[in-house]
Amino acid sequence: MARTGYPFDPEATPRYGAVMSETLDRDVRLAVMRGFVDDGRPPSPDELAGSLGVAQIEIEAALHRLADAHVLVLAPGTPFVWMAAPFSAIPTTSRVSSGDRTWWGNCIWDALGVLATLGADGRVSTTCPDCAEPLGLDVAGDRVRGEGVVHYAVPAARWWDDIGST
Amino acid sequence: MLLFRSEEHAERWIRQRGQANGAFLTLEQQWRLSRAWFQGRLAPDFRRRTVEEAQAVFDAIGLTGAFWSLTG
Repeated sequence: MARTGYPFDPEATPRYGAVMSETLDRDVRLAVMRGFVDDGRPPSPDELAGSLGVAQIEIEAALHRLADAHVLVLAPGTPFVWMAAPFSAIPTTSRVSSGDRTWWGNCIWDALGVLATLGADGRVSTTCPDCAEPLGLDVAGDRVRGEGVVHYAVPAARWWDDIGST
Repeated sequence: MLLFRSEEHAERWIRQRGQANGAFLTLEQQWRLSRAWFQGRLAPDFRRRTVEEAQAVFDAIGLTGAFWSLTG
């Protein structure tokens, strides 16, 4: 497949060599998480290349290493971040709000995890899969209030067999 | 991991799909798990827990038994 648009700028000197991949992976993960927190979405590979001053091909390699290590999940067949727990890059059934800001959680565990990650009070909005009625959980002062029970369909040892469905 | 209005709603939904029963958590248990699990997620030196460390998080919340075993 032809790959165009890569920032193979001969003037650019990557700050990371092969032996520094661990450092790059750490910086990429942090930048992805900060993107979710601050902008509500993960940075794209070219945005990461620009902000970290690293060739896009190295960024993509880092993203794939992080995916292989189950630190994040890429959209199938792409270098674009789909999930970096607790955040989802695409809308889900679990919406999280705090003040006037919103995010998407991958599931109810992650939706509450968004507020835990942020250390913020807020609300999780979802619907009951059975009756489709709205359900809301409020987190305030380290307490959760609301109606409902959480169901886990898949045993813990199998969660990564199909993380998109888990 | 889905939030249902009640166990009755969850059990009806599971039955209609012929799924295994799985496990239930109360909201308080889920909140404790979410808080413990995502603590420090924005720290630069964050690393994924080992299987043993993850199992210890479950144990601390009382999630024990075969369903919660990470080693199958």
